[in-house]
Amino acid sequence: MNEEQKKGILEKYKQAKQKGVKFYPDIIYKDILISFALFIVLVIMAIFIGVVNEPKANPSDTAYVPRPEWYFLFLFEMLKYFPGEIEWIGTAIIPGLAVLALFLLPFFDRNPNRHWSKRKFAITFMTVIVLGMVGLTILAAATTPEQEEEGVIANTMSEQIVVGEELYSIHCVECHGPEGEGGEIKGVEGLEGVILDPINTEDVMYPFTDETLYNIIDMGQPNLGMPPFSTQFGGELSPAEIEYLVTFMRYTWDDRAELPEEPVAAAAIPTLAPNEVPSYEVHVAPIIKRYCISCHRPGKKNNNYTMGSYEEVMTSGDNAPNVIPGDMTSILLRTLHREEMENIGPMPPSKALKPELIAIFERWVAGGALNTAAEAAAATAAGAGGTTVPITATLTITGTIVPGSTITPTIPLATSEATQQPTP
Amino acid sequence: MTSKFVTWLDERLGLQGIYDTVFDRKVPKVNWWFTLGSASLFLFVMQVVTGIFLSVYYVPSPDHAYDSIQYIMNGVTFGWLIRGIHHWGATLMVIFVFIHMLRTFYYAAYKFPRELTWVTGVVLLLATLGMGFTGYLLPWNQKAYWATTVGTEIPGTIPVIGPFITSILRGGSELSAVTLARFYSVHIWFLPLVILLVIGIHMYLIIRLGISNIPGKDD
Repeated sequence: MNEEQKKGILEKYKQAKQKGVKFYPDIIYKDILISFALFIVLVIMAIFIGVVNEPKANPSDTAYVPRPEWYFLFLFEMLKYFPGEIEWIGTAIIPGLAVLALFLLPFFDRNPNRHWSKRKFAITFMTVIVLGMVGLTILAAATTPEQEEEGVIANTMSEQIVVGEELYSIHCVECHGPEGEGGEIKGVEGLEGVILDPINTEDVMYPFTDETLYNIIDMGQPNLGMPPFSTQFGGELSPAEIEYLVTFMRYTWDDRAELPEEPVAAAAIPTLAPNEVPSYEVHVAPIIKRYCISCHRPGKKNNNYTMGSYEEVMTSGDNAPNVIPGDMTSILLRTLHREEMENIGPMPPSKALKPELIAIFERWVAGGALNTAAEAAAATAAGAGGTTVPITATLTITGTIVPGSTITPTIPLATSEATQQPTP
Repeated sequence: MTSKFVTWLDERLGLQGIYDTVFDRKVPKVNWWFTLGSASLFLFVMQVVTGIFLSVYYVPSPDHAYDSIQYIMNGVTFGWLIRGIHHWGATLMVIFVFIHMLRTFYYAAYKFPRELTWVTGVVLLLATLGMGFTGYLLPWNQKAYWATTVGTEIPGTIPVIGPFITSILRGGSELSAVTLARFYSVHIWFLPLVILLVIGIHMYLIIRLGISNIPGKDD
C-alpha cells in the first residue's frame, strides 16, 4: 500500500466522520442498551436453565465418555479425520496455522479494497471455514454417545445423609448389620462366622476422622477381610458415594454431631394405622431396603432371591414363590420367624427383625401382598384390612409364629400348624 | 458549589480533556453490529465481578473444589445466581468475541490503519478461549475432569515436544491437585491480567484511530 492510498483512506474516513455522529450519546446509548439486554439474558439463563449438577470427578471411572467444552468440539471432531500416525496434523499443524494466519491476516491480505464485492475470495474463504466449524460442532454433538446414568447427586448435607444411608443398606448391612452393630457374620461368602466389633460406637467414631473412614471404605482392610469398595480398587462405589457414606455414619453414630431432621424423616419406616392394608410401595419396600437388600441383590449368595422390586420379591428365587398373597405360611414369613427349612435359613441371618416390622410383613401378606399405595388404599376402604386389634396388641402376640390379627374372613386361610385364627 | 467542585477536580485531573477525547468525539454512522465489542467488554466485566465473588468460597483443591461449589450453589445466598451468570457468561463471551472477530473480518476493519487493533483482538480471542479451557476444570466434576483429560492429551500428540507440553499443562503425567492449582492460578491471575492489559491497548487504539466506517461501494 503506497502513501497515496493511505492518504486517500484517511481522507475518506475524515469525511465519514464529518457525516457521522457523536460517540456520546449516539454510540454509547446503543452499547448500554445491548449490555443491559445481555445482563437480562444472563440472569434469565442463570435462573431458568441454571447449571447442570454433575457428579464429582472420579478418575477411576473408565466408562465415562470424555468430551471437551462445546466450543472446542469442532477441533475434537476434526481429529477423527486424522487417525493414528498423522494425528498431529490435526492437533498441531492445522490449529497452529489457523492461529498464525489469524494473527498475520492484516499483513498478508494486501487487497486495499474494503467493500465485500471487491474481496469475494476472502469472504468466501472465511465463510466456508466458519460453516465448517459449525458443521463439525453439530456433527460432534450428534455423534456423542449418551452418557451412562450416574448415581444420585446429593446437594445438601441432609440429602447426602439419606443417600449415604441407602448405600449403607446395600453395601454394608450384610456384614456390619443394619445399625452398624456388628456381631457374627452369617451368609456372606468367605467371611462366614467372623465376629465384627460394632462400628456405631464412640470407640470408632471418636478416634476415626472422616478421612480415615473414607480410606477404610475406599481401600478396605485386607488384613481383616474387608474388601475395598471404590471403583478404583475393584469395588462398586464412586468417591462421592464413599463421602456420602462417611457423612451418614458421622451424623448417625457420632453423638457429637447432630443429625438433621430431614434424613431422620426420610429413613423412618412408615407406620400402619390399625385398619390400614399395607402396600409394598409404602410399607414393605423401606424395610427390605434397610434389612434385606444387602444380600438379596444380584451377585450375592441368596438362592437367587433378589428383592429389588415388587416383581422380584413376588416371583424370583429358587424356592419361588416366596410370597403367596393371603398365605400366612409363605416362605418369606416363615424365615422371618426364624424357622429352619431345607436350604433356607432364618432371616435376617444374624438377628431377628423387630416384631413390629414382622407384623407389617404379616399384615401385608394377609392383605393380599398388594403393590401400590392406591391398591392398598382401595383395599383399606373396602375393609379388607379390617382388624379390631390395635397394632400394639399385634406386637405382643408375634413372638412365635402367630399370625398378625389382620386376617379377614374374605381371605381363605391356608392351614398349617403355625397359623390359627385370632381369638376374638 | 457543584460547578466549583468540578472545576477544582478538572484543574487537577483534566476531566474535560478526557471527556473531549473519549466521549465528545465524532464517529462514522454505524449499525448495531458495532455493539459487539462493547458487549464483549461488558461480558468480561461481568465475569470479573462474578468471578471475584466465586473466589470467596471456591477452594482449588481436589478434596474440596467440588464441595465448595456445592456450597456456593446450595448454601451461599444467591450463590447459585452468581455461578449461573458466570457459567453462562463464559459461553456468551466466547460467542460474542467470535462474532466480533467475524464482523471485523467481513467489514475489513482490520486493514490500514487498524492492523494492530486486529492483532490485539486475536490475542483477546485466544485468551478468552484459554479462560474457558482453564475455568472448565475448576468445578472438578466428571465432565470437567474428563474434558480436561482429553484437552491436555491433544498437544501430547505433537511429535517430540508433545508429551513435554502435556506434562507442563498437567504438572505431571496425570491430572492431579497440581493441575487444578495451575489451571486456577492461570484462570484467576495470568489470563485476566493479560486480558485487562490487552483490552487497554485495544481500546486506546480504537479511540485513537476511531471506529471504522461501514465500507461503501467505493471503499
